[in-house]
Amino acid sequence: MKPATPASSRSTTSEFSVEREWHSDRRSPARWVFSHIWRYKLYIVGILIGSLGNAGGGAVMPLLVGRAFDAVVARPPDIATLGLMAVLIVASQIARAILQLGRNFSSEIIGQRIERDARDELYTSLIGKSMSFHDRQSIGDIMARATNDVREVNLLMNPGINLVVGSAAFLIFPLIIGPRIHPQLILVPLFYVVAYVIAVAYYLRKLAPATERVRRAFGRMNATLAESIEGIETVKGAAQEAREIARFRGMVDAWRAAAVGQGDVESLYLPSLILGVTMALGLLHSLLLYHAGAITVGEVVAYNGVLMFLQFPTFATQFAYPQVSSGLASARRILELMNAETSLDENKGGYAGRIRGDVEFDHVTFSYDSDERPALQDVTISVKAGQTVAIVGQTGAGKSTLTKMINRIYDVDAGCVRVDGVDVRDWDLDALRRQISTIEQDVFLFSRTIAENIKFGCPDATQEEIERAARAAQAHDFIVSFKDGYNTVVGERGVTLSGGQRQRIAIARAFLADPRILILDDSTSAIDSATEDLIQQAMFRVAQGRTTFLITHRLSQIRWADLIVVLKQGRVVACGSHEVLMRTSKDYRAIFAGDDERPRKPDARASSLADAPAAQDARQLDHRE
Amino acid sequence: MFMGLAAEKYDRQYSDRQLLRRMAEYFAPYRGRLIRLVLVILAITAIGLASPLLIARGIDLVGAQPHVGAIVALCIGLLALSVVNWLCNLMRRRMTARLIADVIGQMRNDAFRATIHHDMAFFDEFQSGKVIARITNDTQELAQVTVLISDLISQFTVLLVLIVALFTISWQLTLALLVMAPLVVFLGWAFRRVARMVTRSGFRVIAEVNSAIQEAVAGIRVAKTFRQERAIYDRFRQINRRSYEVNLRRGFVLSNVFPTLNAMAGLGTAVMTYVGGLAAVGGAVSVGAWYLFLVSLEQFWFPMTNIASFWSQIQGGLSACERIFALIDAESSVKQIEQPHAQPTIQPRVANGDGRPLALRGEIEFRGVDFRYNDQQQVLRNFSLRIAPGESVALVGHTGAGKSSIIKLITRFYEFQGGQILVDGRDIRTFDLAEYRRQLGLVSQTPFLFNDTVMNNIRYARPDLSDAAVEAVARRIGDGEWIEALPNGLHTQVGERGQHLSMGQRQLVALARVLAQRPPIFILDEATASVDPFTERQIQAALNLILANSTSILIAHRLSTVKSVDRIIVLDRGKIIEEGDHATLMARSGHYAMLYDTYFRHQSADFNAELYQKLKA
Repeated sequence: MKPATPASSRSTTSEFSVEREWHSDRRSPARWVFSHIWRYKLYIVGILIGSLGNAGGGAVMPLLVGRAFDAVVARPPDIATLGLMAVLIVASQIARAILQLGRNFSSEIIGQRIERDARDELYTSLIGKSMSFHDRQSIGDIMARATNDVREVNLLMNPGINLVVGSAAFLIFPLIIGPRIHPQLILVPLFYVVAYVIAVAYYLRKLAPATERVRRAFGRMNATLAESIEGIETVKGAAQEAREIARFRGMVDAWRAAAVGQGDVESLYLPSLILGVTMALGLLHSLLLYHAGAITVGEVVAYNGVLMFLQFPTFATQFAYPQVSSGLASARRILELMNAETSLDENKGGYAGRIRGDVEFDHVTFSYDSDERPALQDVTISVKAGQTVAIVGQTGAGKSTLTKMINRIYDVDAGCVRVDGVDVRDWDLDALRRQISTIEQDVFLFSRTIAENIKFGCPDATQEEIERAARAAQAHDFIVSFKDGYNTVVGERGVTLSGGQRQRIAIARAFLADPRILILDDSTSAIDSATEDLIQQAMFRVAQGRTTFLITHRLSQIRWADLIVVLKQGRVVACGSHEVLMRTSKDYRAIFAGDDERPRKPDARASSLADAPAAQDARQLDHRE
Repeated sequence: MFMGLAAEKYDRQYSDRQLLRRMAEYFAPYRGRLIRLVLVILAITAIGLASPLLIARGIDLVGAQPHVGAIVALCIGLLALSVVNWLCNLMRRRMTARLIADVIGQMRNDAFRATIHHDMAFFDEFQSGKVIARITNDTQELAQVTVLISDLISQFTVLLVLIVALFTISWQLTLALLVMAPLVVFLGWAFRRVARMVTRSGFRVIAEVNSAIQEAVAGIRVAKTFRQERAIYDRFRQINRRSYEVNLRRGFVLSNVFPTLNAMAGLGTAVMTYVGGLAAVGGAVSVGAWYLFLVSLEQFWFPMTNIASFWSQIQGGLSACERIFALIDAESSVKQIEQPHAQPTIQPRVANGDGRPLALRGEIEFRGVDFRYNDQQQVLRNFSLRIAPGESVALVGHTGAGKSSIIKLITRFYEFQGGQILVDGRDIRTFDLAEYRRQLGLVSQTPFLFNDTVMNNIRYARPDLSDAAVEAVARRIGDGEWIEALPNGLHTQVGERGQHLSMGQRQLVALARVLAQRPPIFILDEATASVDPFTERQIQAALNLILANSTSILIAHRLSTVKSVDRIIVLDRGKIIEEGDHATLMARSGHYAMLYDTYFRHQSADFNAELYQKLKA
């Protein structure tokens, strides 16, 4: 293979790569698919031989039948030849079946290998993408491309291209056999081939938009339906059934119109008309030649028999080409994903020391989209090694964006983030990330044992180390309560864990990995007080001995944090310790002083328990009514 | 792909006659079109028969040293036939497309209308995905099968007429042809079995492999945080290779179908060539007739293999049909009692100043109510409770205590078995259901938002409200600060199921919806997920606004909620075991105090202070 085209797989900056002897051409969907098919030349030859053999075997049959006719009309009839022809027909058709089988096997192998290779290529490329890429991309979308779209590329080859090549072979034989019987007999097959190509091109151009319209109308109908059914409680609660029925009816009508439109395009399939005309012309031409004494009866039969095989390309087209075009659409979606640029690179050879844990935000500004309001605006924070920072604020205030600047999931637009005084962009990415762990809000566990999940970051950890980490994370007790203890399989085929349990497994992971900087997005809530107690202890412990950023709703964590950063619409509105903020920030006080002690009505008896500012606050709310 | 195939409790067996009659009802309005369609199909049949006869005639002409004129006439006839045939097929396909689209569309509308009127017990019991699959996919499958059946019927009519015609020409050769029929059918059947076997065993492995691939994709993020890219790639490769092997094995089996059928067809041709040739030599048939039999072989094979390979699909279509009718026919357990003397069901009463009729006062009373879910354990037994107009009540208790059952009965989502529920002194079963529900404001545990703007979601129950009115309502909640936090204010698109908004924001929108509705009765099943303290404060503000104006029944999970209601009702196994306000019940240190310790204590300042001390130590 020749790699080194400018846009081949090597060129995009990547965080991960695999040594392979092959490279694909990613400049366009067709080239990409072709470059994958081209790797299997042996099987391409198999398909070509098989297709020609299949069509040839098909074409031989009418020739043999024609000879049989000649034998029967001969005076005296030649029974021996008749028998011979019957035997030859069986032999030729068995040979034909074997060749056809070879063709099918070859195309099956290519199709399945393309699926395998394309998925491998896509997956490798995905691993190589930056975290910012994965942050943006929905997992469902990626999965759809890694399963369905990759499968579609397989189907593009088999049955798609297999049928296209196979039926094209049937176009060739009438063109060869006709003139061998009589030179003039090339005319009708030639007419067919030309008319067929034009008609098919026309048909496909009409069909594509019609199919697309049906697909879209069906999708919209489905989405409307899903919404009404999933929101049924709301629909019924608001007594809006009639409106939903009318809305759905509208969608069904739109689908009906689109479906009828597609039916109309499909019904106007010209190649089948062309086939009928061809058959009539073929018969006329051969009979006239026979009348002129130029060919025999058997040749008339043979010629018309060969023409009959044009049925195959006529009808296979209706099926094969849409398959190819939907395969190419899938290939385009896969390529989009693989060719998406990832802005960060590994920066190998950058600074790679051991992190002490000082983190500084120096007038950091960042926006996801240049037209949007910046997610972070002029943020300046200074954190000393070993401190715990609580980040609080409303949804959309920029809390997780802030933490994503530290391990370079995103790079700043302006200002700079420094770890141990070194700009994160000057760090070796691997060294930087290796020492920073993130526990996300939604903890992902693999469908493996609990032990394997805990030691995911340190595959060499011993059982003893795993248990020590689990104990520290307050997870040991619930783990051993399972029948299989640490060998319990979690996920789809195993035990389902609660949010609190998953979180503690993630904390155990962090204990083992022992990162210098820990980012903890803690937005899950415990339903009962006992679990809450355990989780809080685990978090407190894991925060010790490292710099920890906590995105949290928990008041106790906010309280014991060394530094609290209050964000509002991307800006730091307050910063300091709990004691300091209680003294200096009115906003902070209003929310965090006895948050739970706000009775509804001023005269409610519970107000005796509430502290003064909160009760006042509630009274104000009531006045606004 | 197999969603919706699983049987559900409401499924029932229909006899073939019932199914046919139901289907016939759907086609009945289109009787005229159906008749025209049959005529077209008959025309196609006649042509399908005429053209091979014409060709055979042409071959016979060959022996007779014909005039050129006869040859030309014959071929022009053939040409005309093929054009007419094409036109007829064009008409047939257009007519079928319209007929099927109309019937299926009607069926979808009926299925949806029936579904939306099923009670909530139905939706709690049956997964929405499966219900949706019945309305869209099953009808789609039925449509495809109907097309298929109409194709098969027209192919078979041609076949039958052809066989009759062949019989009149030579019964011996016709028998030779027919002898092969069982062979063809058997082959088709055998392939179907083998294919199904490999497909079934294949599907299980493929499902496994697919979920492993999905996990590998979802795990990339974790792998990257821990720099385990190589490990996860190696694992992926194994799975991918396995997927390849399984798929290839399945593909190889299916690859055999057409070559085998072709070889069989070849054998048939050879037999017909030899036997027919002998017959022609012996003078039993003409050469043209012999040719006719050879050509007929093709027309014979095609529908035979079709019926063999499509049989399972047809059966699938029939059971899809059965599933759709079962969905339409599922019975509702919630039944309203007809009032013999029709009077305005809810007495209009003018509310405080804004001129909008506010019908109910909001008094609710349970009198000795018995309730259980379908053949399950009794949830409420002889349950009585009275809630005064304007009162706010919080229901607390362990899972299964009966909290949500009480709510489901008030909303009339479920039918109760004994006793009485009175609203404003009137039996709840006698209200007009739609009118009654309009008096309820409902916020469920995971508030559902429609894929629309925040604005339109707020006025979902009051489509008549102007933009300004909606905005005024939204601004009443905590200074309207929450609106500023939305990227596009009230015009923000919330996405499917509201996924563009945070959980807290979704709750705010749902509460604003109730505020706009101003219902006399408010029902809340509080979310358990925690929200940030800022949003929580605004949720509390919204709640306070609603509680002040409506009779409220809340399933409470937040400490601040239980503290803000007039009365807390502690439930245990369907019985009220304690009631009173927070302070009184706490002072009693009974059941409520214990529940508080389990579910609410960690939300209190004391707990946090305590924990803080413990951790500092």
